Amino acid sequence: MSALGELQRMRKGSRGTLGVAREPKKDNKAAFAFLLPWFAGLLFITAGPIAASFVLGFTDYNLIQPPVFNGLDNWMRMLGDARLHKALGVTLVYVLVSVPLQLACALALALLLDKGLRGLAFYRSAFYLPSLLGSSVAIAVLWRQIFGADGLFNQVLSMAGIEGKGWISDPDSALSTLIVLNVWTFGAPMVIFLAGLRQIPAMYYEAAATDGAGKWTQFRRITIPLLSPIVFFNLVLQVIHAFQSFTQAFVVSGGSGGPSDSTLFYTLYLYQRGFGNFDMGYASALAWLLLVIIAAFTAINFWAAKFWVVYDD
Amino acid sequence: MRRIALAAAAALMLTACGSGGGSAGQELSKEPVTLRFTWWGADERHKRTQQVIDLFQKKHPNITVKGEFKDWNGYWESLATTVAANDAPDVIQMDELYLASYAERGALLDLGTATKHLKTADFDKSALDTGIVKGKQYAIPVGLSTYAIVANTDLLDQFKIKLPDDGTWSWDDFKKAGAEVSKAGGGKVTGVQSFGFDAGSLNIWARQNGAALFDVAGKVAVPENVLASYWTFIKDLAKSGVSPAPSVTIERAGGPLDQSGTATNASVFATWWNTQLTSLSAASGSKLKLLRLPGESQASSPAAYYKPSMFWSISSRSKHPAEAAVFVDFLANSEEAANILLTDRGVPANTKIRAAITPKLGETDKAAVEFLDTIKVGTAPRVTPNGASNLEAIIKRHTEEVLFDRLTPEQAAKSFIKELQTEIDGA
Amino acid sequence: MTELRKLLRHAGLLLLALVMLYPVLWMVVSSLRPNNEIFRRPGLILDSLQIQNYGEGWNALASPFGHYLANSAILVLACIIGNLVSCSMAAYAFARLDFTGKRLWFAIMLGTIMLPIHVIIVPQYIMFSQLDWVNTFLPLVVPKFLATDAFFVFLMVQFIRGLPRELDEAARIDGCGHARIFLRIILPLMLPALATTVIFTFIWTWNDFFGQLIYLTDPEMYTVPVALRSFVDATVQTSWGSMFAMSVVSLAPVFLAFLVGQRYLIRGIATTGGK
Repeated sequence: MSALGELQRMRKGSRGTLGVAREPKKDNKAAFAFLLPWFAGLLFITAGPIAASFVLGFTDYNLIQPPVFNGLDNWMRMLGDARLHKALGVTLVYVLVSVPLQLACALALALLLDKGLRGLAFYRSAFYLPSLLGSSVAIAVLWRQIFGADGLFNQVLSMAGIEGKGWISDPDSALSTLIVLNVWTFGAPMVIFLAGLRQIPAMYYEAAATDGAGKWTQFRRITIPLLSPIVFFNLVLQVIHAFQSFTQAFVVSGGSGGPSDSTLFYTLYLYQRGFGNFDMGYASALAWLLLVIIAAFTAINFWAAKFWVVYDD
Repeated sequence: MRRIALAAAAALMLTACGSGGGSAGQELSKEPVTLRFTWWGADERHKRTQQVIDLFQKKHPNITVKGEFKDWNGYWESLATTVAANDAPDVIQMDELYLASYAERGALLDLGTATKHLKTADFDKSALDTGIVKGKQYAIPVGLSTYAIVANTDLLDQFKIKLPDDGTWSWDDFKKAGAEVSKAGGGKVTGVQSFGFDAGSLNIWARQNGAALFDVAGKVAVPENVLASYWTFIKDLAKSGVSPAPSVTIERAGGPLDQSGTATNASVFATWWNTQLTSLSAASGSKLKLLRLPGESQASSPAAYYKPSMFWSISSRSKHPAEAAVFVDFLANSEEAANILLTDRGVPANTKIRAAITPKLGETDKAAVEFLDTIKVGTAPRVTPNGASNLEAIIKRHTEEVLFDRLTPEQAAKSFIKELQTEIDGA
Repeated sequence: MTELRKLLRHAGLLLLALVMLYPVLWMVVSSLRPNNEIFRRPGLILDSLQIQNYGEGWNALASPFGHYLANSAILVLACIIGNLVSCSMAAYAFARLDFTGKRLWFAIMLGTIMLPIHVIIVPQYIMFSQLDWVNTFLPLVVPKFLATDAFFVFLMVQFIRGLPRELDEAARIDGCGHARIFLRIILPLMLPALATTVIFTFIWTWNDFFGQLIYLTDPEMYTVPVALRSFVDATVQTSWGSMFAMSVVSLAPVFLAFLVGQRYLIRGIATTGGK
């Protein structure tokens, strides 16, 4: 029997070998104690405003005068709202393209920067630095230095004899520049991956090494399964996050979602309705539609997790 | 959950109780009073305004004014939220786009009830009228500005191109002059920066064609063919190389002033508000000149108009309307305050104040004042109707659609009218 | 051969770092340029040093910029403590305890982060203004002590679930209660997750604009992001030099926090033994 196999058996059968069956009894009391702050937060901070936004979704509410119930009007209006449909399309493309790209970059760099290289602290910090800037006011100006008409990208292109354009202000490429911007800030998931890598007990690798398993085998049979809860976490959260993506599009497009709505993210549209048009009733209904969409995606993620995420409990 | 929801909704109903223009109590309190005063702007304005506040507090020891400064976007989020919570600042800097939206919904005080403390005698009636919504004076204009062409005469000299005569030029002449520059500029400099991304240009275009963007009742009144000609002209400018490629035009139109073609000396002609001349001159380092709009001499009556740069208004739910009126009076009428503010909020609408500060101004500011004083203007367009606060965003989006051939000018005209009217009807 | 591979790896990483850092470098360079040169001159070459930008930016607003840095620092510190305490407790319950309706509560927790803040903020503002909490740090800090940041709860749940269960079961045989298991075993082992929480809370709070803009009305209470934005007005000339200078100044503490924090990221179970 190989050491690696031994290890996996040990992990799977841990309860058996230790002889402690999980108690059938529930820990309700202890759980309540540990969850007390969270319950209090849910009750006093979170629930009220969430419930209010739900109710407001069935009203005509202009922020200044009291809301007026209008039944399902807001929801019917969504069917014929062309800009909403455009925003849904833009957001979906953004989520489906930028999340996998960003996570792949983050994971690749985390593996590279895990250990065994000089200057790790420097590289980690360098790759993380952009994430610090990602949502600041300066980003609108900075991004234009790269993808604007006089930006770095065009300068490189012109060296190759290609004539550029204002990439941010062309509806065919504007969304792509925002996807690049999101990938550029891969520092956050990278840090989480790094932390996750560090939590894998060294003994597993030692056992595998004595067994003569190569790096690749170790990666496939130890790193990937043991990191899977963290990959899963990043995937779930980045999907939620990408659906709600707001600041970058807002700052880069000056709040318009332009040019010609090509970067009109869902929350940006919702914000325009709510604060720009004093249409908070409709905005609230839009928010709840988004919640349903995100919840569906999250549920799919949780369902799919059964097939690839390995837990130790 | 249901109970929480109902309680929350009830709270909203309760807070949003004001249903319309309260009236100013006329008596000044002897007790200490604190006023909250909010404005948007950049650091220079924050500094000057704080000095004015300090000056006011010295004169009125029992009134404390707390200044709350914000950037433009943050300002409107924050104002909407505080108004919703019945927690709005007492004195509010207001913009023309939002004036009707707040006034018609009862968030602003009818200043006609505060005349005991707030004098408006030194304002032209035409200027004051811009602050009237549904017959009531909800706001006092702070500064005035007028739409103009800014021309870079240094570049014109460099290309040896004659400055067009702005007393007679038509839009065709404008295009021709621009084409000459683009040819001489060899791709680095274009004739026209961008045109057609704001309400100013559309208002002018409509008025020169004998139309108006909105009628008195607040309906969209501009005919389709006028709109179509507007977008045809814009498209023509881009196609013929007078203005830069669409993506570049849009980039410059959407960026802050410092990144515009005028500021970076990348274009010779551009439309601006006359009061921006000083900022533009400083940013570009070139000699810039204000020109009257093309097409004015061909139009039957002047299309140019005075636009208030911003307004002073008072929250209808202010607990200290009398003191707030005293403070607004100070902002609007005090020469001492004006000496600090100068033209930071535009060329003062108060004619007495304008005359008083003019000698103290720099060269470009003087040019802006002179331009404003000498231009022929028609009556100001109707205030942007309630619900149309996103007017500029709608214009901009349609111009983008036209520039990128996603809509023809005719389709854009149809779509524009429909969308804008829907917004107004929905409010 | 391996030396060469190492060299190539460094060269690749350095190039990538340079591309990624270009905007940051541009910002630093711009903070040292005269205001009207910033947008008229592409590239990174400086021919004069406009150090004054830093002095002018520092004193450009109602209070010296240090005041806003201090406000942000206080806020950040409070939020970090709040998140560490409350989220780790909730995470332990979700990861290790069995209780009635666990899956439902977990779903609700995730659900709370699915609504965009823009529709929550108005009812929330009304609620906090009734409590008279507006213009204090309370609306920004108290929620952190009540584990409302589901992101971190979920993060810690995932980390705890990755820890070998035999550890706490062994402890339980020795008669340890949940409090002891949590404090003595789980917390030390999830140091990387805690470090991640600290780093993220620091950065997100440091950068969060929306909440701080709405709740902090008096300029005395303003924090760095609110102060930075009030430099910019798109319709007039803006002191970009000062704005970039203060952006650099405000980036420095976050960068330092990360430099320090990242050391704890790599002190996980691997170095503490794990047995």
